[in-house]
Amino acid sequence: MPAPPEKELTVMLVDNEPARAAIVEQAMIDSGYRVIRRLENAKNLTEAVTEFQPDMVIIDIESPDRDMLENMSRLTKDNPRPIVMFAEEDDSRHVEAAIRAGVSAYVVDGVNSGSVKALLQVAIARFREFQALRSELESVKSQLEDRKLIDKAKGLIMKHQKCDEPAAYQALRKLAMDRSQRMTDVARNIISVMELMGGSK
Amino acid sequence: MNLIQPNNIIQTSESVRIGFIPLIDCAPFVIAQEKGFFIQEGVDVVLSKEASWASIRDKVAFNLLDGAHMLASMPIAASLGIGTIKTPMQTSFTVSHNGNGITIGNALYEELQHHAESSVDIRTGVALKRLLDGRAANAAPLRFAMVYPYSSHNYQLRDWLSRAGIDSDKDVQIVVVPPVKMLDSLRQGDIDGYCVGEPWNSLAVEQGIGHMLVTGYEIWGSTPEKVFGVNSVWAEHNLEVYLSIIRALEKACLWVDEPNNQTELLSILSHPDYLNCTLEQLVYGFSAIKPKGQFDWPMKAYQRFSGSDINKPLPSYALWIMAQMYRWQQLGDIKSLNDVAEQVYRQDLYYKALGLTEEKNNTDWHLSVEDESTWLDSVALGKIRLHPNGILNGFDK
Repeated sequence: MPAPPEKELTVMLVDNEPARAAIVEQAMIDSGYRVIRRLENAKNLTEAVTEFQPDMVIIDIESPDRDMLENMSRLTKDNPRPIVMFAEEDDSRHVEAAIRAGVSAYVVDGVNSGSVKALLQVAIARFREFQALRSELESVKSQLEDRKLIDKAKGLIMKHQKCDEPAAYQALRKLAMDRSQRMTDVARNIISVMELMGGSK
Repeated sequence: MNLIQPNNIIQTSESVRIGFIPLIDCAPFVIAQEKGFFIQEGVDVVLSKEASWASIRDKVAFNLLDGAHMLASMPIAASLGIGTIKTPMQTSFTVSHNGNGITIGNALYEELQHHAESSVDIRTGVALKRLLDGRAANAAPLRFAMVYPYSSHNYQLRDWLSRAGIDSDKDVQIVVVPPVKMLDSLRQGDIDGYCVGEPWNSLAVEQGIGHMLVTGYEIWGSTPEKVFGVNSVWAEHNLEVYLSIIRALEKACLWVDEPNNQTELLSILSHPDYLNCTLEQLVYGFSAIKPKGQFDWPMKAYQRFSGSDINKPLPSYALWIMAQMYRWQQLGDIKSLNDVAEQVYRQDLYYKALGLTEEKNNTDWHLSVEDESTWLDSVALGKIRLHPNGILNGFDK
C-alpha cells in the first residue's frame, strides 16, 4: 500500500460504464483518496461540480458530457479546468498516458501536481486493466463467431462438392492461402456467394 | 460501413486518422470515405466518431488523431493555448458555412408573446429584453445552452443577446449541453433555449418542443462553421498526404451540395456508423423550417459546403474569431493578430492542393499596424461588425 497522500484529495468520478467505475472507485479508496461522488449519468454535471466542489474530476474521455466541464473553468477560477492546461511541454507524458488510456481529468487550480499525477496513475492503471479485460472478452467472442462461420462454410462446401469434412477444410485453407486472406474472410465470401446463388438452403 | 469495394486499395502510407462529431456538417468527411474520394486520391483514411469537441482537441494535440472535423475556432484556440495546452494546429480547408440557429422552449415563447408586437420584436431579442427587465430580481435566471465555449454557437448567441441589450453573463445563464441532448434538455425544462447546429433546431420545431427565433445566418451572414483542422506538426511531415485529403474533401463537398445526391446522402449519414438517426430527422435539417406560431416565419439554416467561396480558408474570419474570444474574456496576451491568422488559416496550402494560382489581393485582409492595435476593442464594442451578407464581404466600420 502506498502512503496516503498528504492532503486528502476529493475526487468526483463520472463514468457511464458501471463496472469500470466500481473498479476505479475501489482503487482510489484503497489508495487513500476520497471519492465524493460517482455519477453514471451526468445529467446535472455542472450542478454536481458546483455543489460538491471536488479537487478533481475523472471522466471517461469518450463521454459526451466533457464539453459541459470545458465551460466551467471560465465561470469562476475555483472550478476544475482541463488537465491538458496544466501539462507543461516537458511534463506532458502523464497527460498523454491518460488520454491514451481513455482517462480525462479536470483539476482545480492550486492542487498539488504530485498528488494529481499519483491519482491519475491509479485511474490510468484501472482503465487499462478494464480495457484489457474487455478486449480479451471480445476476442473470445469473435473466435467463437469465426468458428461458426468456418463451420458453416465447410458445410456448404461439403454439400456442394459432395466431399467429406477434412477435404472441405483443406479446400477452405488452400483458398485462404492462395488469396492471402484470413480463413474467416474466405468463409464469409463463400457463404455470401452461396446465399446469392440460393445454394445455402 | 463500407459501401464501395475498391479493387485495389492503394497504400502509399500509414492510414490517416480523422475524427468527426456526428452532425450534419460532418457530411464531406463521410462522403469522401464512402464514395471513395479519399481512395481516388491514394489516401487510406480511418474515420473515428468522437463524443465531444474536447476529445477531438485532446486526441489531435496528442497525436491519437492526425486531423478532424473541427469548429472553425478550434485550431485558433489550440494554437494560442486557450483552454488547453498550446499546440500548433491549422486549417487549409473550410468544410461548411452556416447551419446554426437559436430555439427557445414553448414556455418561454408563450411568455415572449406578451412582450412582442411583431415578429421583429422576437427576432431581434427585444421581446426577451422586455421580459427580462420585468422579471423579479430574485427569479431563477433563464438558462441558454450552446455546445462548446470556443464555438460560433457561443459567440452568435452572446452577440444576439448583447445586440438586444442583454448582458449574457449577468442577465441570463449560459451553459454547455451536447447537441444530442439539446432536445431532451429543452423538453424537460432544464434549459429555456439554445444555439445549436442543424438538425436540432428544425427537430424541436417539428416535434412541437420549441420555436426557432433566428438563424446564425441572420445574426452574422454567411460565415465558416466547420473546418478540416490538423496538427501542424503532422501537416508539415505529411504535406502530400495532407494536400490529397484536401482534394478529396473538395470533391466530396461538391457531391454533398448536388441536389440529385440528397437521397443517397441522407441514407449514408443516417447509418449507425455516422449520425445513427432516422432519415426523417435528417430531412428536416436540409429543408426550410415551417412557421408554427403566431410570431414565427419560415427559416432556413443555409448550410453550404461547396465552391471556393465556402472552402477557401479566410484569415479575416480568424481575426473576427480572436476578437470574439477577446470580447468574452477568453483571449490572453497576443503578439500579432495578423501572424496568428496567417499561420492558422493557411490559404497557401488550399491553393497548392487544388493547383490554383493565388489571387493578387490575397493579403488584403491584413490589418494595418494602427488597426491591429484597436481591432479587438473595436469589435468588442460593436464599432466593427461583419457585413450583413457575411465574411466574404468583409467588415462594416
